[in-house]
Amino acid sequence: MYIPVVFMGGQYNHLIVRALKELGVSSRLVMPNTTLETLKGVDGLVMGGGPHSVYDGMDKFGCVPEIIKKAGFPVLGICLSHQLIGKILGGEVVKGRNPEYGKTTVEVIEPDDILQGVGREFVAWASHNDEVRKDGGRFVVLARSEYCEVEALKDERRSVYGVQFHVEVADTPKGMIILRNFIGVCKRG
Amino acid sequence: MLSIISLEGYTISASDSANSFDFDPAAFVEEKVAEIRSVVRRDRVAIATSGGVDSTACAALAHRALGKGLVCFFMDTGFMREGEVEEVRDLLSSLGLPLKILPAKDRFMKALEGRTDAESKRLVFRETFYTVLGEAARKEGCDVLLQGTIAPDWIESSGGIKTQHNVLEQLGVDTVERFGFRLLEPLLDLYKDQVRALARYLGARVDASERQPFPGPGLLVRCIGPVSEEKVEVLRKATKAVEKHLGALRPAPKQYLAAVIEDERSPSRGGVEVAASRMLLGARVEYLRWLATGVKGDNRAYGKIAIVTGRETEPVDLFGLPERVVHQDGEVVRVVYRISGGNGSKKGKYIVIVRAVETRDFMTAKPSAIPLRVLKRMADRVMEDDRVSVVCYDLTSKPPATVEFE
Repeated sequence: MYIPVVFMGGQYNHLIVRALKELGVSSRLVMPNTTLETLKGVDGLVMGGGPHSVYDGMDKFGCVPEIIKKAGFPVLGICLSHQLIGKILGGEVVKGRNPEYGKTTVEVIEPDDILQGVGREFVAWASHNDEVRKDGGRFVVLARSEYCEVEALKDERRSVYGVQFHVEVADTPKGMIILRNFIGVCKRG
Repeated sequence: MLSIISLEGYTISASDSANSFDFDPAAFVEEKVAEIRSVVRRDRVAIATSGGVDSTACAALAHRALGKGLVCFFMDTGFMREGEVEEVRDLLSSLGLPLKILPAKDRFMKALEGRTDAESKRLVFRETFYTVLGEAARKEGCDVLLQGTIAPDWIESSGGIKTQHNVLEQLGVDTVERFGFRLLEPLLDLYKDQVRALARYLGARVDASERQPFPGPGLLVRCIGPVSEEKVEVLRKATKAVEKHLGALRPAPKQYLAAVIEDERSPSRGGVEVAASRMLLGARVEYLRWLATGVKGDNRAYGKIAIVTGRETEPVDLFGLPERVVHQDGEVVRVVYRISGGNGSKKGKYIVIVRAVETRDFMTAKPSAIPLRVLKRMADRVMEDDRVSVVCYDLTSKPPATVEFE
């Protein structure tokens, strides 16, 4: 099983690779200019966070917008990549009124998908200035928090997911469960 | 084998034997010993050791590859803790590695005096460090420098969060042209827990393999704002008391340290006090004169330190306070709680901030739940120095604060 991670420039991207390896999956960092063609045959794809902002312009993100639009395999976007997915699926990305840095409590809305087994609420570590708003976007909101209305989302039609918080850091204790659930989605194809 | 990909001038490498769940030190050592031997053609190679687990593991690894061809330097920057030089000498000699001390205290202080900005201080430190090291290495006939740089070092530098004193090539610095040596960094893919496993495998004593991280620039990055001999001296004394008291706890916090800053305060603005008061009745919030380093949303944040004064409360009950303060004022990166002093009873020039965190890999961290009575006892000891007016405890997680202060 092979799930590469797109390096978006964030500090934790390397930890996603480490976490996937701990869960028995083969993984490595790939650059944002990696094409869909090159990714043929992967079981799934995770995309990391990064210092840029979605409203700086889509040209900063290489092939990532194209991958989000067309991927035929499961995708999980984290932080910045979650925001890219929200934007591309028709939602809005805005500067958060109450940005989250460090601990946050995530409330699960849809417990049966990749958030299965984490309880109704769980502690997560987040670090973001921008956030996704639903605004008619073609996605289901899976979780929210006091300060951020879309903490997790899923494309209405495909297995394309986004999480605003960081599943890959040690201070998100349930993060490994969520990654394992995502790997489960990848296994089912 | 190393697989290397390049992005905007810096390099990401991923070694096959690193980062796996069951990190195998034996396989790692075998791979790296071969790699070092194949890269090093001349006989003599220099390494700058700090006594920290990264450089100690790197030195022990290189010793396996190169034997007597390895020259171990230790730079006395003047920003070391009390007794550190002797401790490091002893630690490395237990691994069969003799140490050459480079006395450079005056050069560092001269280059740094008068500077206040954290990044500028780090850059000057780095420049001085490699200049002195380059001179010494050339004298010894070494043209390769080994370094124990590990993954979080270059990840943070690549994101521009802070200038690591030991990250050069990843940022496009030509070390041959600039300092006269080539760099070799065999631990680039490892995290701290893996380096500790490596050090144990290579025969390091427990006090070496489990040693707390101590930054390359040492006490400099805990001297917030301007540097002076007096300020470093105050910090050195405070550090000794803090390490003694917090190090005696069982379990001890994962990392614990002291920082020093001038006692110059100004009132906070807007709804900060109101928000803080919801958690700590009658809280007073002030801002300190100099800024500290933080990290917000994958960007470096150089922001204000807020000092909160209020009735005696267990710090663990105040861990939600930074969030409230930061929501009211986005320029704040750190919130510290007054443990002792500051009510006009004692005149001193400096505030000492104590920080203790729990973390797996230093990529994220949360404050340690140290009981107030322990902190008060420790603060009494720190306050014995007349130059200290206030002792505080840092309540901030990473993010938005970093573990170190600058």
